[in-house]
Amino acid sequence: MAQTKKVLTKVLLYFVEIFVIVISIFPILWVIACSFKTNGEILSSPLALPTSLSFEPYLHLFQEYNFPTYFLNSILAAGISTFVSLFFFAMSGYVLAKFSFPGRGLVFALFTVTLLVPGHSRTQPIFSLIMNLNLYDSIWGVTVVYLSAGLAMSIFVLRSGFMAIPKSLDEAAGLEGAGFFRTFWSINLPLAKSALSTAGILMFLGNWNEYYFASLLTITDTQRTLPIALAFFTSEFAYNYTQLFAALTVVILPGIIIYAFAQEQVQASVVSSGVKG
Amino acid sequence: MKAAAKGSKPYRAKASKLERKNYKWIYLFLLPTVIIFLMFYFVPIIQVFLTSFTQWDGFTTPKFNGLTNYINMFKTSGFIYALRNLLYWCIVGMFLHVGFGVLTAFVLFQKPRGWKLTRAVFMIPNVISAAAWAMIYRFFFNDEMGILNSIIRLINPNFHVRWFYQSPWAFWAVTITWLFYAVIVTLLVLGDLMNIPAELNEAAKIDGATGWQLIRHIQLPLCRGSIGTSVIATLTARISMYEQISLTTQGGPGDDTMSLSILLVKGVTDYRYGYANAVGVLMFVIGLIILGVVNKAFRMNDSDY
Repeated sequence: MAQTKKVLTKVLLYFVEIFVIVISIFPILWVIACSFKTNGEILSSPLALPTSLSFEPYLHLFQEYNFPTYFLNSILAAGISTFVSLFFFAMSGYVLAKFSFPGRGLVFALFTVTLLVPGHSRTQPIFSLIMNLNLYDSIWGVTVVYLSAGLAMSIFVLRSGFMAIPKSLDEAAGLEGAGFFRTFWSINLPLAKSALSTAGILMFLGNWNEYYFASLLTITDTQRTLPIALAFFTSEFAYNYTQLFAALTVVILPGIIIYAFAQEQVQASVVSSGVKG
Repeated sequence: MKAAAKGSKPYRAKASKLERKNYKWIYLFLLPTVIIFLMFYFVPIIQVFLTSFTQWDGFTTPKFNGLTNYINMFKTSGFIYALRNLLYWCIVGMFLHVGFGVLTAFVLFQKPRGWKLTRAVFMIPNVISAAAWAMIYRFFFNDEMGILNSIIRLINPNFHVRWFYQSPWAFWAVTITWLFYAVIVTLLVLGDLMNIPAELNEAAKIDGATGWQLIRHIQLPLCRGSIGTSVIATLTARISMYEQISLTTQGGPGDDTMSLSILLVKGVTDYRYGYANAVGVLMFVIGLIILGVVNKAFRMNDSDY
C-alpha cells in the first residue's frame, strides 16, 4: 500500500515535470524545425522533420526584407531606453536607500504604486504626448515611452541593492574627499552590479518584447521594431510559411539567448517584483 | 511603503548639517525619475480620469458630457462580452492558472530528478515576446499546417476545426495561449516554500503528519502570501491582455473573445478619446477592486513567523 502510494507520487511528479517541459519548449522547437522545411513539406507532412538544413530563408529575411532595420530599431529602442532609465532609476534608488530627506516616504510610495496601474489604461495620454512631442511614427517616440517601463520593479530591486552596501564605505570615501557624485559613481555603482544587471536585464527583455505601444506609435515600415514587423509579416506573407517561421525564430531567439546567459538574474527579478516587465 | 514613511520621520528632525548640504544633490538625483513619473504615470492618470467625463477627439477642446461615455460603453456591442470574458478569464486564471503554478511549485519542491531544468525551461515562454508567442499559437492551431490538427488527423482523418475562428473554440484557444504558462506563480510559491523553517516541517512530521497533511495544514497556508501575489498578478494580467487576442482572433468570431483592451484601442484609433479613457478608468477601478479583495481574502498583510 505504502509502496504503491510512493510510486504514484513519483509518477505524478514526473508527469508534471514532463508536461511543463513539453508545453514550454515544444512549440519553439516546432517553429525552428518548420523554418528549415519547404512550404510544400510544411503543408503536406506537418509532423515530419526537415529533410535538409538550409539557412536560405534566414538570408532572405536580411537581404530582401527590411529585417536589418527592424533588428536595429529593436536594439536602439530597447537598448537606449534601458541604459538611460537604468541610470536614472539607479540614482533614485541610491538616494532612497541611503539618505533621509523630507518627502522620502511619499516619493517611494508614489514610485511603487505605479505597479498597480494597468499599463493599457494610460494609452491615450501617452499616445497624445508622443504626438505633441512630434515623435509619432518614429522609433524615438517608442524609445521615450520605454523609458518609463519597469519603474516600480527597478526602484525596488536597485533600492535593496544599494541598501546592502555598508554606509561605512560612503563615510570613508567622504573622508578621502570624494563628493556626492563620486561616492555614487565610483563606490556604490560598481558594488551594486548584481542589482543593476537584474533590473537592466528585465527592463531590456520587457522592452525588446514590447508590442502594444510600438504597434500604436508607428506606421511606417522603417520605424518598426521586430515584434511589429513580425505581425505585419504574417499578414502580408501569409502563404510563405518557411519565411514566416524563420522570421518568428529571429524574433524569439535573442530573448532566449539572453535568458540562457542570465538565468539567475531573470528568475531573481521575477521573484522580487512578482510581475513581468 | 508604510515602514518607509515611518522610518524617515525620526531622521528628519535631526538631519545633520552634512545631510542638509546633500539635499541639493538628493533632489537632483530624484529629478529624472520624478519627471518620468509625472510624464508617464501621474499626468496621464489624471488626464484619463478627467477626460473620461468629456467628449473629446484629441483636436478640439474636451466638452464635459457627464457619464455619457460610461453609458455608451455599456451600449457598445461587445462590451458585455468583454466583461463576461474578463470574468471567465479571471475565474479560469485564479483556479487553473494559479492552481497549476502552485502544483508545479509543490512538485519542484520535492526536488525530483530534473527539477532545476524544469524550473529553467518553464521560464522560456515568458522571456519571449507575447506577440511572437501569440503567433506561434496561431500557427500551432492552424487547420492546414498546424501540428495540433495534424496529430488529431492521425486518428480521425476528416477532422477540421479552425480553432481561432470558430465558436465556441476561439475562447478556449485564446485561453490556452496563457493558461499553463504559470512560471511566475511557481517561482513565487517555490520561494515561500523554501523559506519555511526546516524545524516546522520536522515538528509536524514528528507529530505524525502525513505528506498530504503537511501540505494541506502547514505548507499551503504559509504560502498564502505568494499565492495572493500570484492571484493579483494573474488577474491584472487578464485586465490588460492584448497581444494574445489582437494577433489571433481580434475579438472574434462575433464578440466571442472581445476584451476591454481591444475596445480601448478601438476608441483611441477612432479618436474617441473620452470613450477610450472611460474604458481605461474601468480597467483601473477593476484592478483596484481585485487588489483590495485579494489582499483581504489572503490576509496578505499579516505576518506568519
